[in-house]
Amino acid sequence: MGSDATGANTHLNPAVEILLKFVNEDLLAGSQEKVAPDTALFDEGRIDSLKILRLIAFLEVRSGQKIPDELIVMDRFRTIETIAKNFPER
Amino acid sequence: MNILNSRASTLPHPDFYISDDGLLSLGAAETTLIHALDSKFREMALAAGAEERQFPTVIAEEILDRSEYFQSFPQFASAVDSPSKKGKYFLSPAVCYHCYQLLKNSVLAGGTLLSCQGRCFRAESADDSHLWEFTMREIVFLGDEGFVRTQCDAWKQKIALWAAQLGLTANLAPAKDPFFVAETRGKKLLQQIKELKFELTAPGLLGRDVPVASFNLHERFFTSRFEVTLADGEPAYSGCAAFGIERWCMALIAQHGVNEALRRVEESDDLR
Repeated sequence: MGSDATGANTHLNPAVEILLKFVNEDLLAGSQEKVAPDTALFDEGRIDSLKILRLIAFLEVRSGQKIPDELIVMDRFRTIETIAKNFPER
Repeated sequence: MNILNSRASTLPHPDFYISDDGLLSLGAAETTLIHALDSKFREMALAAGAEERQFPTVIAEEILDRSEYFQSFPQFASAVDSPSKKGKYFLSPAVCYHCYQLLKNSVLAGGTLLSCQGRCFRAESADDSHLWEFTMREIVFLGDEGFVRTQCDAWKQKIALWAAQLGLTANLAPAKDPFFVAETRGKKLLQQIKELKFELTAPGLLGRDVPVASFNLHERFFTSRFEVTLADGEPAYSGCAAFGIERWCMALIAQHGVNEALRRVEESDDLR
């Protein structure tokens, strides 16, 4: 892994860092387990049907664009790194 | 002789008779092809270690209710009366529901494969790809998450390879409609992103792509409702591969004609 699971790695791409902070400190707040930039985000049931909507809302605010449902697929959402690459900040 | 059908003339194959209610009858060669196709799927299932089971064509309302079938697909259910008039029954919409009932309240010793074939009924609007009554062969896999995912992936690859061996032009892709109807946008998107259902589609008799096989990951949906657990007490995972035998038959006939289709199926290797 390129970083630890706390998001404290100082070499992270800023977009990855912001997303990592949102996921670990907001989406997964209260959960013992934290994710790393390359963690398979949808394994282990860690993202439920409410969390996916909050994640999409977060990305839409950052990108300033609505994300069509057809773009919400595993190839674009596999990890935090994948998401940051596919949904850049405006 | 066209005994059932008012619609045979709309299909470009003379020995497929489909009634307005989606009831199919077949000619002799087509019937032979149906049997040959199911034999191949059965051989593949048994070679993979599946235990074959046979279940009734009707299914108790309680089993469908526990599977949340009426919440997902209320419009497809066909009720039937039982002789005693005591129990409430429906024509089975899929054969795998019987497997979860079979394993209800059980602890799995390890990865488990079951195979079953049966007549299934879905009261959809009838056309060449949506029959009210059809034949489905299923392979159901239960175990831990890794076992179920590995089986599902293996069956995807095996069946796509077999379709290629038959010379059937087909496409394997995530399905657009989910296995369970998601009542919220969040659930729908979660199913979509997790790619819980893949379909192998092929052009049917009218040239439209129709799913001939589906490969489904149920996560713990059925096992939590039927209390099927692993040795550690946690619900098992489940998944299934399902083959619509009449759709395979129609797709092969559309692409090769019935005699050539039968030759290809009978001469194809068993994929193990």
